[in-house]
Amino acid sequence: MIDENKVILMTKLAAYEQGEGKKYTSIAGYFRTDYVSSYLLGSIIAGTLAFAAVVGVYIFYSFETIMENVYETDFMALGKKVGTYYLVFMGIYLLLTYILALYRYSKAKSSLKTYYNNLKKLEKNF
Amino acid sequence: MSGFIITRELIKRIYTKYDAYINPLLKFIFALIILSVVNSKIGYMDRLDNIAIVLIAALLCSFMPTQVIALMTGVFMILHMYALALECALVFGVLFFLMFILYVRLVPKETMVVLITPVLYLLKIPYVMPVAVGLFGGPMSFVSLAFGVVLACFIEYVHNNATTLTSMEDGNIVGRITFVVDGLLGNRAMLAMIIVFSIVLLLVYVLRRRAIDYSWTLAVIAGSIAELVLFLICDIALNLNYSLGGIIFGSILAAGVGLFLQLFSFHLDYKRVENVQFEDDDYYYYVRAVPKVKMSATDRKVKKVQPSQSRQASRSTHSSQADRAVRHSETRSTASTARSIKTEQNAGATPAKDSQRTVHTANGASRTINR
Repeated sequence: MIDENKVILMTKLAAYEQGEGKKYTSIAGYFRTDYVSSYLLGSIIAGTLAFAAVVGVYIFYSFETIMENVYETDFMALGKKVGTYYLVFMGIYLLLTYILALYRYSKAKSSLKTYYNNLKKLEKNF
Repeated sequence: MSGFIITRELIKRIYTKYDAYINPLLKFIFALIILSVVNSKIGYMDRLDNIAIVLIAALLCSFMPTQVIALMTGVFMILHMYALALECALVFGVLFFLMFILYVRLVPKETMVVLITPVLYLLKIPYVMPVAVGLFGGPMSFVSLAFGVVLACFIEYVHNNATTLTSMEDGNIVGRITFVVDGLLGNRAMLAMIIVFSIVLLLVYVLRRRAIDYSWTLAVIAGSIAELVLFLICDIALNLNYSLGGIIFGSILAAGVGLFLQLFSFHLDYKRVENVQFEDDDYYYYVRAVPKVKMSATDRKVKKVQPSQSRQASRSTHSSQADRAVRHSETRSTASTARSIKTEQNAGATPAKDSQRTVHTANGASRTINR
């Protein structure tokens, strides 16, 4: 005799394992710090490249002005200014990445917790 | 309305059954549309402006993740701009690179919003987007909308100033870059559109999340009105020369599309709301349950009638001579199969109360008939 409730629960669990469960299992396989760090590392590289691209376009955009004032420019001050912009930009971007990574990790953990509870329920009741 | 709901259920059923085929087909159609729009607006490279290449690219996209459509669109745009002016391609490439590396990499689900916004903008109906995204997306989706608007405005700017760009001297790289970047940064209409879209999106999102009756309808209508008013204010304050008819038509269209989308995904029957209260050890719960509106397409009932019973029943009901003749022929035809199958088909809608039961009946019946 087929137990409908058991079939429903098993189908749900199987669908989860093949769908979002796969993604969440890989996330939960990391320690939280490792997962967040990998995200942050990717963002440091991406952010630096993006900043460099913007600076490159800015140099082209203001090329004439830069060339006109090239002998009067205080490169130390300019370097500090650019460095400050870089740090502010990276700070904001990394903060947003950190929040996103933390949210995804906790979501994966709670989702897997529900999955394991359902597994226990299956084992216990059937 | 009932016809629409029946069609919706039918579409859902077909989609669930054949999603493995429908998804690639939809991706193919979407890629085809977006690449055709790009070619029609900025088709400066003759080799790319070819239906065979578009078809091949769309076919390739149909089996790939959505991000590949975005990437393919980006490549098409960069190549077209390269054919116009190297500097345009450079600026657009940087813009696209920034969008991809800083945003789409982290939130790949938002790729579709980033792609659809410029397409609708180029088709002169971008007003639909904030309402639709507010209904289905999150509050942070305004970033996707903003990226979409920036891409669209860039394309439009290049399209409108193609003659100026080509007339500039070939060696004037800095001049061309300055011209393109100035055009992008000094575009007040673009900034106004980003701000209005963000406000409308947040308004729609907040309203549709409220626990009030007809929250989605309210969100759509309020969002459309807010969009209309905000665009008019921007037009007057910043002298942007928007087309009044376009804004009004766009807002009405946004409301129409929003209500249509609502019917597809959040159609509730507020007449049958149930308020339930219960408690456990820690909490007291006040639950408000709103049923979804559902209707079954057809209700086929299959009755298996034994030959002897059918004769008996027909004797008692039919009296006229003509009827007897019909009954005689019916009985003769069914005698060979030793049973008669009577199929009743109740066309039209069944109220939602009985929807679950009738759906099961309908499915079972159709399977029986197919066999």
